[in-house]
Amino acid sequence: MAFFLLFFIFPIGYALYISRYNWQIFKGPYVGWGNYRHLYHDTIFWSHAVRNTLVYTAFVVPLQMALGLTLAVVVNQSIRFRTFFRAAFYFPSLAASAAIASIATYILASDGLFNTILHHLGYHHTNAWFTQENTALPSIVGLNAWTTSGTMMLFYLAALQAIPVDVYEAAAIDGAGAWRTFWRVTFPLLKPGHFFVLVVSIIGSLQMFDQAFLIGGASGGPNYATMTVVLYVYNQAFKSISFGYAAAVGVVLFAFIFTVTLIQRLLFGRAEVA
Amino acid sequence: MGTEEIPPIPPVAAAKELARGGEAAKGTPATTTGIPGRETGDRIRMAIAYTVMFLVAALFAIPFLWSVSTSFRTLADTLAGFSLLPRHWTTSGYHEAFHTFNFGRYTLNSAIIAGAITVSNLFLASLGGYAFARLKFPGREVLFMLVLGTLMIPDQLRLVPIYEMLINWIPSWFAHLGVGHLGWHHPSFVNRNGVILIQLVSASSLFLMRQYFLTIPRDLEEAAKLDGASYFKTYRKVMLPLAGPALAAVGILTFQGSWNGLFWPAILLQDSSQYTIPIGIAQFRFAYTTLWPPLMAASVLAILPILGLFIVFQRYFVAGVAASGVKG
Repeated sequence: MAFFLLFFIFPIGYALYISRYNWQIFKGPYVGWGNYRHLYHDTIFWSHAVRNTLVYTAFVVPLQMALGLTLAVVVNQSIRFRTFFRAAFYFPSLAASAAIASIATYILASDGLFNTILHHLGYHHTNAWFTQENTALPSIVGLNAWTTSGTMMLFYLAALQAIPVDVYEAAAIDGAGAWRTFWRVTFPLLKPGHFFVLVVSIIGSLQMFDQAFLIGGASGGPNYATMTVVLYVYNQAFKSISFGYAAAVGVVLFAFIFTVTLIQRLLFGRAEVA
Repeated sequence: MGTEEIPPIPPVAAAKELARGGEAAKGTPATTTGIPGRETGDRIRMAIAYTVMFLVAALFAIPFLWSVSTSFRTLADTLAGFSLLPRHWTTSGYHEAFHTFNFGRYTLNSAIIAGAITVSNLFLASLGGYAFARLKFPGREVLFMLVLGTLMIPDQLRLVPIYEMLINWIPSWFAHLGVGHLGWHHPSFVNRNGVILIQLVSASSLFLMRQYFLTIPRDLEEAAKLDGASYFKTYRKVMLPLAGPALAAVGILTFQGSWNGLFWPAILLQDSSQYTIPIGIAQFRFAYTTLWPPLMAASVLAILPILGLFIVFQRYFVAGVAASGVKG
């Protein structure tokens, strides 16, 4: 317990405290809301870090959910090699992000596997996907949709198995085909599953760090194209050595994530009553 | 007490998965039950479905296979255009990764960090989980909610405070404790020790253990109590041996998480002799962008132990994730 108090609960308060100071490695002068005022006018934060994080979340969350659901439905069928497929789909979620990011960089390099395949298909793309300002973030979206779809698949799988069998039997008796059964029966019944996956996925996306750090480096290159909010916290703390400011960014992000969770919970709670 | 006295474990969804240790996912029965006169069409459809699925599975596997293939190439080979397999098989990529770029050291560091975190999680989470499941003490529910609540605290909020605590506070506490005679004059925690210290136990490990202990019938402990065993002895002699599956899930998930860990090591490991494999890979990528064979060799090194664990203990991975998902 002391451990949780010391390393989880206490740091919240301490972060709030630090964020009110011009704190470098050691405590500096008190600046009140100065860090927050600065943050309000910080264009790199708003037009790169926040924008990228939101764009990333907006694209990656639906992709993760759709992929996860599709894979879950597939491996939930009574098919042969089910264990094999489930393992194959799940494994990318388990592998080290650093290794995956390196492999992705290699495949998406200017003369990498992906461009070679595109070339054979008649598209000539000669740039490395991660180093171009306009393709870097979309490439990370694709990469992460792929790696996390396995985890989402497992969550959906648990939700699918909570649906009672007789519902399907009733649908079969009514003569509903597989497609219709899915959209009219399975999909609506998965609502708790959707909600859970949505929350996990959004919270995860808002905190995206690994891939941005590995691919764009601490400065979120090229030209801030892969700068995310979490990376910005890291960057401010360890590149600019402004701990107070980094703490302020962290507090704002926490408040935002907390609000998102609350809103989702309220919306969901109401929908369930209705 | 003989094992034959152990009654069957009551069916509680997540824990049952672990206990049964079998298929964590039994498919819901097929909805397309055979309609007469449809067999040929069905068979063709099945064939197409299987082909598509194997293609998708291949798509998931290709990046890994491609990295393995590259790790056995020469640098010239990687630049010479596409070929499925290396033109000249060589282990120089691995040799360079180990000897020139120090990945032997990084592998050892990863093993030390992941090993220490796993052992301490197993110990603390099982003890704490047992306390939350069985001991009656005031405020137990509130405390447990507090622990679960920590799952919602993002790491980046903790980044600055934790760093401050590790660099200033904890060393000064040690100084006050007067442990100088142990050789800890200036204990530093902005290093491997710090990475281990802040991950000694996680809320999800604790949660998993508690849920599992709740499914174990009380009769066993009552019997132990009648025999005059203390709480700790009951925990050690009765509960722990029964908790095997949950311990396996916690151990495996913790090991996987800390082996792959990037965020805290990136912040706290500043001396290259303490880098873990992920940090080594990150630094390597910043320094030598296109030395693909050693980079791929290092990536294979990072993935291989987890792949091995996954193949052997797949059911624990799946059941563990499913169980931690239940709380949502």
